[in-house]
This record gives sequence, structure tokens and C-alpha cells, in this order.
Amino acid sequence: MFLPVLLCPVGVGTGIPAPVLGGSVVDRAVRYRRRTRVVIGPLAIALTLAAAGCSSGKVTSSDGAASDSLTIDKAFDLKTADPGRMYEPTGEMVDKALYETLLTFEGGDVSKVVPGVADLQQSDDAKTFTLTLNGSHKFSDGTPMTADDVVFSLQRVIGVKGNPSFLLAGVTVTKKDDKTVVLTTSTATPALPAILANPALGILNSKVVKAHGGTTGADDAAEKYLNTESAGSGPYVLDSLNLSSQVVLTANKNYDGDKPAYSRVTIQNVQGATQKINVQGGDADVALDLSGTQSEGLGSSVNVTSDPSANVIFLLLNQNPAVSAITSKPDFVKAVKESIDYADLVSLAGRGTSQAAGVVPSMFLGALGESDGLKQDLAAAKSDLAKSGYKGEKVTLSFPSDLTLNGIEFPTIAQRIQSQLKATGITVELAPAPVATELDAYRNGKEQIGLWYWGPDYPDPSDYLAFTPGNVVGLRAGWPKGADPTIDGLADAAAAGGSDSERQTQFEDLQKALNESGPFIPLLQPGNNIASKSSVTGVVYNAVWTIDIATLGSK
Amino acid sequence: MTSRHPFLRYGLRRVLTSLLLLVGVTLVTFVLTNLVPGDPVAAALGQRAAEDPAIVAQFRHQYGLDQTLVAQYFTYLGNLLHGDLGTSTTTHNSVASDLAQALPATLELAIGAIVLSVIIGVVLGTVAAYRRGKVTDQVLRVVSLTGLSVPTFWLALVLYYVFYFRLHIAPGSGRLSPDFRTPPTVTGLYTVDSLLAGQLDTFLDAVAHLFLPVLVLTLYTVGLLTRFVRTAVLEILDQDYVRAARAKGLPTRTVVWNYVLRGASIPVLTVVGLAFGSLLSGTVLVESIFAWPGLGSYAYQAASHLDLPGVMGVGLVIGVIYLLANLVIDLLYGFLDPRVRLA
Repeated sequence: MFLPVLLCPVGVGTGIPAPVLGGSVVDRAVRYRRRTRVVIGPLAIALTLAAAGCSSGKVTSSDGAASDSLTIDKAFDLKTADPGRMYEPTGEMVDKALYETLLTFEGGDVSKVVPGVADLQQSDDAKTFTLTLNGSHKFSDGTPMTADDVVFSLQRVIGVKGNPSFLLAGVTVTKKDDKTVVLTTSTATPALPAILANPALGILNSKVVKAHGGTTGADDAAEKYLNTESAGSGPYVLDSLNLSSQVVLTANKNYDGDKPAYSRVTIQNVQGATQKINVQGGDADVALDLSGTQSEGLGSSVNVTSDPSANVIFLLLNQNPAVSAITSKPDFVKAVKESIDYADLVSLAGRGTSQAAGVVPSMFLGALGESDGLKQDLAAAKSDLAKSGYKGEKVTLSFPSDLTLNGIEFPTIAQRIQSQLKATGITVELAPAPVATELDAYRNGKEQIGLWYWGPDYPDPSDYLAFTPGNVVGLRAGWPKGADPTIDGLADAAAAGGSDSERQTQFEDLQKALNESGPFIPLLQPGNNIASKSSVTGVVYNAVWTIDIATLGSK
Repeated sequence: MTSRHPFLRYGLRRVLTSLLLLVGVTLVTFVLTNLVPGDPVAAALGQRAAEDPAIVAQFRHQYGLDQTLVAQYFTYLGNLLHGDLGTSTTTHNSVASDLAQALPATLELAIGAIVLSVIIGVVLGTVAAYRRGKVTDQVLRVVSLTGLSVPTFWLALVLYYVFYFRLHIAPGSGRLSPDFRTPPTVTGLYTVDSLLAGQLDTFLDAVAHLFLPVLVLTLYTVGLLTRFVRTAVLEILDQDYVRAARAKGLPTRTVVWNYVLRGASIPVLTVVGLAFGSLLSGTVLVESIFAWPGLGSYAYQAASHLDLPGVMGVGLVIGVIYLLANLVIDLLYGFLDPRVRLA
């Protein structure tokens, strides 16, 4: 900082060459000075110009004083901040701060939906949802929120056909009055309340968005604007966004809820290894992507919150005999389930990780208890393997070689599974490939054994009906509708919905049956480790938006 | 006209060849990116969105993926003539604007690293050649081999830990500290833009953030250049005109600057050009450790998402950089050595 101090009051030479000196005695000195001036001249001019202005690039107190600013390190997967198109973890966190939703979750509890900007009345058949705006919510420009804004926002999500459009597939949105909106579906949709809590369904200021090209169709052109400025009613507004480096948020002066503790928040794109050093060194206040190993030994000035994430890593064994004659045999599937040392995998994955008892993550309604998870039984595995008629042929385990989930590298897990199955006598050939290329084989049901993960589309157990015959993941495992009538029946019952306690029982029964005879082997819920400076309070992991920035406090 | 100006004729010939090579670069990049066994739709859309035929159809139409490959290529070339590099399927921005942000970030690193590397590498290489077989030469050999063999990502992490966390003499990651605003964009180089905006504190912060990543890149490139300069200088030292200069009693400094280094400059220039090109295209690991939003990070992101316009854009930019570097070096050859331009 010495340069401005010197330059501002004193000034610097202009860098204009001195008059040419005559006489041979000083020739060399002149040449030297000329050469030096060629280099120093432009720099001096630039510094002088800068000094003449003497402005500062630092954030001023009107932007948020340094004492109430917060820096969050996150490994970006950010594609957009437009709620109608956003569907990535970083975007969920950003949009949660910028936009309010009709319904929401409190803290880390995603098993119970609570009112957001609206109160919900749901019909018994889970086909009609009446949402009435509560309180007097205002957008960041001071405009009051109305039912028109809600209808526009939800219809836009459907119409632009972006990544989150599927959330409202089959949903009709109609305005009842200035405060009330009715959502209707032709089939029972008990998951809709949980879906409405997703920040992708945040409510936009329709007038502002329309003025910047927003429509409810494929011709919508408001994304560029929404990546420059926000148009919501959340606790923050968008100050700047760079998809590859950082997002800056500042407090929304018109927010009608509790004022956030930090008036300026910088979310910067940093990888896990650097995040650890940054949070220890004080450059970052919160680090969101530490692996189990990285979250160890951070010192007393850093707190670590470790919880199982909502991601579930699983194996699929293809049931299509044309893809694999051996993995499609029920006894072989049982033998693999009994061969795996689940505790060993948990230990390998590190801090915060737990065994996935079923396909539904532990924090969701309908999750199985820990004791219901699959268990290793080598004697039974060998017996079942013999019954399957396995003759030692190689089976291929395909997995994304470049995928790291919550610090867990898929190649590491695949290698450990290979060695565990070898102990039973199953020969596994590893087939790694980059995720972008392997996705095709996975989604088209061509893998013999696949190692993948499922991140929740929304925090409701009905999302996991995907793992039943004839549904998305079921088909990837070569498991068509009708392949297992018992599971088909349990899935139909679970899809119909009911009270929370009824749904809990339905999904428990379904998952127990899947563990018993399904082609999937739930392995791990990787740990989600959040490190924060001890001065930051209120760090709570949420399975949908990772952390709610507005609820972070300071001490 | 050109027959009377062999250097001009030589320069024109090289520029025309470079343009043809550029078209070749677009074709090779296009073919290679389309040979990758994967579906860009699957890579870009979420798993549920990819199941919806209407969303998939719109995506294919929006990004021109519903055309034949030949039509896609010629559409790309046509757009390219208008300066349109397409729209990234990952960021939804125009590739040109993405690259306009990423390239200056990497340029700032690469220019800093190449300038330092040339200064240090030429000095060390010349000293090593003059001290051939002596202790100084052996020590410099170890130093240069260490620079070449230490993995850059490991070196970057270690230096970051030591200088930032332990010694507190380097700033954290990124191009600027979080409490600084990005200077108004003119060139995209924060050091230049901050000066143009009259923000000296931002300039100093930007320079401080350059320190560690430039140091890491310099250590590798210095190792490379030292070895090449040493070899080139050794060859020149055996030349008759150098012996003659020494025999005339010219001071060592004059012999080194006016005879040895000028003679050694052609092979060294070749390596400098290649090193600069690889600095621009190969900084992905260093950028990752220092959270530097440059060309390497953008290339990795585009490739891992099968973002074909993004990959094409990066390929094209890197191709242009290499061609420009080669062109400049070839022209410098012609300038330094008249035999080249007359050939």
C-alpha cells in the first residue's frame, strides 16, 4: 500500500525523455537513461494517471462494511441464476437467497414443508393445491407481490422448457383472485408441496421480467437480465455474477423478513483443496466442499458441520439377459449384495458418510432405519453365488472416472468393490469412462454393473419411485414394468399418497422389498462437510440448497 | 514490389499459410469433438429434463444439433466469419464473451511467467554454459530438472500453503480479494484495467494475486529454458566468430550480448514460442488450485460437459495463439537471419 501513499501527495514524473545531452563523456549515461526510460516511461505514465484519480476499487461502506461481509468458497457447478432454468446445487443456494418460494423448509428439516410466501390447502386426493399469499411481500424494487406474479413465474418454468420444467410437469396453474393461486394435477401428486419449496420455483417480479424479454414460452429472453440483476423478494439482491469465478449478493433493502446478518456476500469458485487452506487462513468464512479427509485437523478457529448428504451412491445390476446373462440372475444379485463390506466403504469415504439403508436418503420422509440396510454375509454370498451358476466369467463394472461426489472419488469406490467381490470369487473388470460419455450407456441401460449416484430432484420419497420397474432408473437396470409384480404393487400404493405416517410405511415397505429382490444396492450417503470460521453461526446443511445464507449469523 | 522486399514477401507467405492452417484447426477440432462417444444433450440437461422429448428437441434445435454434421460445420464456419463462435451449452453465453473473460485471465499469468522465465532462463542457461562441467553447472542442472519434474499442482498447493497460510506474505486465491470490486473492463487484464480506472489499490491487489501462480508457472518454464539456452550457447561458443571476438580482446559482456546470445537466439526463440503457447493452454491445474477463472478452467469445463461450441472456441483460440506465436517467431527468424527470408 506504499505506492498510493507516495504517489498521491507527491506525484510522479511524466516519463517524457530528458533533453538529449551532448558530448561523448556522457554518451553511455544518456543511452542507459534512454533505455531505462523506454521501460519505465509507460509504467510511470500509467501509475501517474492512476495516482491522479486516486480512487479506490475497494468495496465501500454503502456496499456493506467489511465487518458484515461474508465470503463463501464453493466449487461451482453454476450455469445460470435464472430460476426458470437453474437446477444445480450452486444455483439452488444463490436463488434461495434471491427469491422466495410459495412453500419452504425450516433449517435442515426437509421432511416437513412449511409456508413460504403462501399458505397451502391441499385436497385429500392430492390433486388440487390452493395457495394463498400471506403477509405483504414486496420485490426488491418495492412492488407488492400478487397472484399474477406467482402464475407468471410458475408458467414460465413450465414454458421455457429448461432443466427444472419437469418439476411442474402435468401441473395447471390458475389465478383465483389477487391473493390466491390454484394448482391442479390429473393424478395424485403428493410430492408437489415439497417441489414448490425448490428455489427454481422462486417468485419473480413479472413486470420487471416481462420488460426484459420474459415470457411464459420457449421464446423467453430474460435469462441474460436475470444473470445481471435479480427480480425477486428474497433477503438478497444480485450485485454481480460471473459463472466461472464469483457471485456477489447484497442485502435487499425491501425484504420484509428478518434482516440478514451479512449485508454483502461473496460466493467464490474454489476447489476443495484450496478451500481448506482458505478457511484456515481466514480468506474464506465458509467452505462448502471439503472431503472427509480435508475436514480433519482444521484447528480450533474453524467449526465443521458433518452430515450425510442427500446423495445416494448405488450399484445397479442389469436385469436384461441380453446385456448380461449372469447379473440378471436373482441369486447372483443376492451374492453381490452379501459380498459387499458396507462398513469398510463407509470408513473409506470418511467423515460424515453413512451407509445408505435404502434408496431414500435418511433425512427424507419414508427413509429406512440404519438397521434395515444391507449387510455383509460371506458364507451366504458363496452359497448364492454357487446357486446362480456363476463360472468365474468376468463381469464389467462401469463408472464415471472423473466424478467426485462430496470428496468421494468413484474410481476409489469401484476398486474397493472389485476387491471385495474378488473375496467371494466374483471377477470384476473395471470400465471407467468420463461421466459425459458414460452417461449415455447408463441412461440407455447398457451397463452390466453400474456405479452411480442419485441426487434428489425434490425432497420427497416419490422421487425414488424412479427405482421401481418401468421407471427411469429401473429401465437403466433393464427392469421393465411387470418384472416384479410385488414391487409394482408396492410402488403403485406409494405413488397414491396418503398421510405422512401412511407414506412412511408405504416407502419403508417398498425399500425393504427393493433391498430383498431389486437390482439395486444402496451403498453410501456421502458426508457433507461444511467448515466455517468460529465467528460464523447458524450453519445448517439443507439437502436442497446446501445452506441458507440469510440465516447465517456472526458473533 | 515484393521481389524487391524479400522480408515482406516472406511475411505475406507466412500469414497466408497461417490462415489456411486456421481453417484446418477448425476442421480438426470439429471432427474430434464430434467423435467423442457421448451425447451433449445428456451431458447438458439434468436427468429428468433429458427424459422429456420436448425439452430434448428444443435443446437440439436451439444449439443446431438437429442439423447434419456437415451442415453444422458450414454453419459454424459461416458464423465464424461474422465473429460468432456460437453459444455455450453450459453457460448459455456466447462463446466469444466467455473467452473474452477467460483469455485475459490466463494471458495475465502467461505473460508474467514467460517474461520472468526468459530473463531467469537466459541468465541461468548462459551461466551454466560458461561454467560447463563445474559445480555451478551441476547445481543449475539440478535446479532446472527439479523445475521440470515437480508436478505443478503439487507445487502450487505447497507454495500456496507456505506463502499464504504459513507466512502470510501472499494473498488468498482468485484474481482479486473479495473486498475489491472488479475494475471496469477495458482489456480484461485486471492489472491494466485497474490502472486505467485509477484504482491503485486494486492494481496492487491484482499484482499480489499474480505472484504465486506466476511463480509456479515460472519454475517449470525456467527449467525448460535453462536447458535449451545452455545447449544453444554451448554450440555458439565453439563458433569461429566467437573465438575471433574473444581473440580481439572484447569484454566478456560484449561477447555474450552481441555475439553469443544473438547467435543462440533462434533456437531459444522457438522454445519460448512453444512455451508461451503451452502456458496459455496448459494452466488448468494451476488455475484450479488458485481459483483462477482462465482459459484452462474454461476448457476443462467445456470438455467435461461435451459443450461443443465451448470446446471449438477454446480449440480455435489456442490454435490462433500457437499460429501467432509461430508466425511472430518465423518473422523474427527472418529479421535475425537473412538466410531464412531468402530461402
